[in-house]
Amino acid sequence: MNLMEHLQPHVYIPLKIGDIDISITNAVVAIWIASFLVFLTLTLAGRAGRLVPKGIQNFMETLVQFARQTLVVEILGEEGVAWFPFIATLFFFILYCNLLGLVPVFPGFTPTSNIWVTASLAVVVFICTHAAGIAKHGIGRYFKNFVPSGMPKGIAGLVLTGFMLLVEIISHVARPFSLAVRLFANMTAGHLVIMVFISMIFMISAFITPVSVVMAVVMMAFEIFVCVLQAFIFAILASIYISLAVHAEH
Amino acid sequence: MDATGLAQLVPGLAKLGGGLSIGLGALGTGIGMGILVGKAIEGMARQPESAGLLRTTMFIGVAFVEALALYALVVTFLLIF
Repeated sequence: MNLMEHLQPHVYIPLKIGDIDISITNAVVAIWIASFLVFLTLTLAGRAGRLVPKGIQNFMETLVQFARQTLVVEILGEEGVAWFPFIATLFFFILYCNLLGLVPVFPGFTPTSNIWVTASLAVVVFICTHAAGIAKHGIGRYFKNFVPSGMPKGIAGLVLTGFMLLVEIISHVARPFSLAVRLFANMTAGHLVIMVFISMIFMISAFITPVSVVMAVVMMAFEIFVCVLQAFIFAILASIYISLAVHAEH
Repeated sequence: MDATGLAQLVPGLAKLGGGLSIGLGALGTGIGMGILVGKAIEGMARQPESAGLLRTTMFIGVAFVEALALYALVVTFLLIF
């Protein structure tokens, strides 16, 4: 159906290395623009360097302070500030990628509406949580923490341990999966709803245009809120998972 | 009915399954979110000083519950297209 083909990327420069297709599509250009914007706004805000900030430095400082306080310090504690660059990068990059998809000009593609982008970010968070836990506790003790102590002896103990291990492993695997799918589905569904409203104009008649446009504007406003919320949720969940792995569990 | 007759039903049944998937998925999600936000507002009414913390936690809860509805939406997309 032609609904999904609007969400496929257009190829600009076809490139191939052997069998792998790495052509420059508008999705690639969109991610480049998002990362360049993150770098640009944060560098410009940092360079101004006034003691009493104003303008873009003020705005960026609000976001950075929010990221530092709510995302890192409240969850990981004071010694967790080492994680602040990672979590703040996640937050800003996802925020800019989400918001870039709302602008209808040039790339016109939401990078985070591609499951591979969100899956890569989720895999990075997954590796970080387990690496943090292993670095803090050591490999043996970290995996021992999966099962609570005080198990009954004998066959019942063995079965119970196996069962608890299975539950823990499933919940650990479900986390990056849910992170990726949450971000991907939120972005794709929002854009699809807007597209459905606008295409109602073509499919029904021209008289429905006022209703359609009003609904599309309302959905756009809601989309802006969803974009910011989803970036915040991704970052705070990454922070919570890291804190769960690092702080002593039982 | 012969085999070709039954096989003709499959695309229609897939779309029906897609519609059912998102409908039932949104059902439980709506109830869950209603309970969640209601409890958050109740807590904020009892103790207005903790409104900030309650608001943040409520948003995290909303994201978890919404993710379940979005899993259903993903299954709908898989079934319809």
